[in-house]
Amino acid sequence: MIRIMVNGEMRTVQSPPDTPLLYVLRNELNVMSPKFGCGLAQCGACSVLLDGEEIRSCVTPVDSVADREVTTVEGLAARWAKQRNLSFDQTARTLHPVQEAWIEEQVPQCGICQFGMMIKVTELLDQNPKPTDAEIKAALTDSGPSPHLCRCASYAAILDGVHRAAQLMSEGARHD
Amino acid sequence: MTRPGEMTIGKAALSRRGFLAAGGALVVSFSVPAWAAPGGRAAALDPARSTSWIEIHADNTVLIRTGKSDLGQSTIYTAYPQVVADELGIAFEAITTVVSGDTDVTPDGGGTFALMSMGLSNLRKAAAYTREAVFELASQKFGVPRNQISVADGVISGGGMSATYGELVAGQDLRLTIPVKGNQTDFGGVEVLGDPPLKPIGAYRVVGKPYKNPSIRPKIAGETVWVGDVKLPGMLHARAVHPATLGSTLVAVGKVDRSQFPKAQVVVIGNFVAVVSESEWEAVQAAVQIADDTQWSEWKGLPPSGQLLDHLRQEVKWDEVSGTPGKENKGDVAIAVAKTHSGTYFTPFLKHAPIGPTVSLADVRPDGSVTLHTHSQNPGFLRYSIARMLSRPEEAVVIRTYPGPSHFGRSNGGNAGSEDGAVLLSQELGRPVRLQWMRDDDMKWSTQSSPMYTDVSIGLDDHGRMASYRADHKGPPMQDDRLISAILAGLPVIDPPSPTNPVPISNNKMIMSDPWAYDTVPNVAVTGHGAFQIGQRESPINLGLRDHSMRTPIQFQQNFPREVAVTEAAALAGADPLQFRLDHVSDDRFKGVLTRLREESGWVTRAASSSQKADGDGLLRGQGVSMIVREQGYWACAAHIAVRPDTGEVRVERLTIIVEPGVVVNPLQLKRQVQAGGLMGTSIALHEEVTFDESGITSEDWSSYPILTMSEIPEVKVVIVSRPELGVFGTGSETANALAAPAIAGAFLDATGKPARRIPLRPDYVKAILASDDGLGTRVQ
Repeated sequence: MIRIMVNGEMRTVQSPPDTPLLYVLRNELNVMSPKFGCGLAQCGACSVLLDGEEIRSCVTPVDSVADREVTTVEGLAARWAKQRNLSFDQTARTLHPVQEAWIEEQVPQCGICQFGMMIKVTELLDQNPKPTDAEIKAALTDSGPSPHLCRCASYAAILDGVHRAAQLMSEGARHD
Repeated sequence: MTRPGEMTIGKAALSRRGFLAAGGALVVSFSVPAWAAPGGRAAALDPARSTSWIEIHADNTVLIRTGKSDLGQSTIYTAYPQVVADELGIAFEAITTVVSGDTDVTPDGGGTFALMSMGLSNLRKAAAYTREAVFELASQKFGVPRNQISVADGVISGGGMSATYGELVAGQDLRLTIPVKGNQTDFGGVEVLGDPPLKPIGAYRVVGKPYKNPSIRPKIAGETVWVGDVKLPGMLHARAVHPATLGSTLVAVGKVDRSQFPKAQVVVIGNFVAVVSESEWEAVQAAVQIADDTQWSEWKGLPPSGQLLDHLRQEVKWDEVSGTPGKENKGDVAIAVAKTHSGTYFTPFLKHAPIGPTVSLADVRPDGSVTLHTHSQNPGFLRYSIARMLSRPEEAVVIRTYPGPSHFGRSNGGNAGSEDGAVLLSQELGRPVRLQWMRDDDMKWSTQSSPMYTDVSIGLDDHGRMASYRADHKGPPMQDDRLISAILAGLPVIDPPSPTNPVPISNNKMIMSDPWAYDTVPNVAVTGHGAFQIGQRESPINLGLRDHSMRTPIQFQQNFPREVAVTEAAALAGADPLQFRLDHVSDDRFKGVLTRLREESGWVTRAASSSQKADGDGLLRGQGVSMIVREQGYWACAAHIAVRPDTGEVRVERLTIIVEPGVVVNPLQLKRQVQAGGLMGTSIALHEEVTFDESGITSEDWSSYPILTMSEIPEVKVVIVSRPELGVFGTGSETANALAAPAIAGAFLDATGKPARRIPLRPDYVKAILASDDGLGTRVQ
């Protein structure tokens, strides 16, 4: 039996061990924010954090992440609360600063790629709290298995979103 | 005719059915929902009832309905509520619900296009009719003449009395019938007619403000149910096993290894083959196994993409379809001129390439009813198409729409690819079936934006002004709305594009889509020439390369050659290309955006450079300009680019876009649309071209069909010019897409001294273009 920690909760998986993590999350565990884009690790729509590092869940067999910690967009707020020692009450009312920034800056067009974008940007801001334009572009283009693609080309809005998120994170937790 | 108890507003009729004891009612009876048909089967809303469009509730909240969908433009969640709020005289926040897309709970149908023209006009008129009806109620209640009634901030006043909308409508059973024409399942949907008194734009208060798109927060929070997220009890997962070529028929279907995939099942209907399983991963793997083991007939009926331009020029019979002259044609382009610029321009096949491949979930019940959960730009026409495929009445079909990866026009005729296959599988298996195409299915089996080549000739007079302009645009059609799995299964579909197709949008005559802009040119002859889809008639299954509109369809392909050619004509005249444009337009809206572009873009007024000198970093730099008008929106764009001549790499360093749409409904949403559209246009200019061999499409993933990445984006400057006094709602959204390519090609000429008359400006093409004299890289000087 495979066990994985998903968004802070230990989950038991029935799917065959070679099943891509993406299908396990979506079909068995009902964690729907990672999206199917290509199944080839070419676009980033399925990105999740594995122990804090971005991976492509569409090409990751579930048994390779056994006993490890997976975070999706649904779990970003709780992860942020834990990192900042927020109270339960604060946690319930708080989105992750990256999510707050994405709303404030009205980043998405259709939005299907933004789950992977926010995962990648969360990883970036964990490591580099105040990235430059060049560092943001590099993170979303060169640092993973493939560039994170947005067909609507919301890239200019994403740049604004990352800078806003960096500002929000430096200010601390925020509330709705 | 107005009967007793009715009133007339414009051409609307209001019938008062008396007081309803229940209270808390809408402007219509709420005990029987407008969409409930006998037998409880959902059919459609009656578009002639105002409340099918706009409901005002006793608590002063308002609900609006539109058959349009959202593909990320936000229009139905921002612009529509903003205009309705202003017509009613209420706050934006009072509109708490937008019902969209689903065919059983929206009145109008019609594709998600012309959002700011007929789509907006419909809701604006419905709001005006509704306001006038409530004013009539107020007049009666207050006992003052109708002309003394007014509204502000949701409060209706007159004769010293006042009441909110909610107070006036509570308990009333009013049936306001508004004049409409058309049907929900028509391609263009329902139009609201008549002339209700519209508020002057100057009185609008909600329009013009940067409201956030309320659909973004739930998406970002992970709360939204996307099209691929819908689940039903007993649902099966399906994968398609597509034919080996675009002309293959099934010879022998492969076998699934039951010991390996015990739950997988193969379904064959004619040439439609699919694999289903309760497990999605099993369906994926079994489909690969079946595909490897299935035999298809061979077919080679396409010209390879590397020979496409030659094929279009030499093989296609352009006299099979009659030509379309431009509306603004005039004079005689054969007049004698001092100098002539002539050239051939080419735009390739493009993919819509949504980030997620098409996915649909169908639930066909034993009673023959069909519920199809999907992401469609034209649910009404999809409903019609599915009913036709099944030879069932439209009443049997309900389309439910969800947010999804944008199709950019691919589904504006209803289908994006997976819908009909899901329905066929559900009907066959008696269970809900979710059909998810894989990345290569979506690239190889969806429609594409069709190519065009254009011969342009521009004559200059002795003063270097354009004296004549001739353009012949030639390309396959742009709107094949046939259902792909229905074709494979041999089931009824609409006719493919042809010269005799009576449906205008399905006729393969080329429309003239790019309005002529340089109106001071005395002699103009522009003609569109259509043809059949490439390989369709040669394909035994009537497929070949199916085409479909994509963002600014046909207009982009006609505007690119025009704008690049005008830039080249300016160079021939020794003139600055931006000033040259100003010198040839009389429309002050064009003058306005061009003048503003010169101020905002860092434009250097000079003729395109003829001698090229690399900067210190070894790059050749240039500036280029383009302009366009679409659906009352005026646009100008400047691109500043750098070319590395040894590698052929083109980098766009800055993009400046001026948009003047008349009324700016929401500057925040417009800015985001324009930024993204400008960058998608940059992607098309630099990267995109569908490749294919004699049998089918070979662009199958993001490596064989690359798009723009974050590291390549230029600095994007968007300037929005508001001119509410014009009283027009120009379109935003897709038009920005068309601007980048001609501006970048113009900048290429300035940077290198060589014209670029084709896209994409990929390194291999760029090196060929630099070594040739025809701008196409095909003929060496």
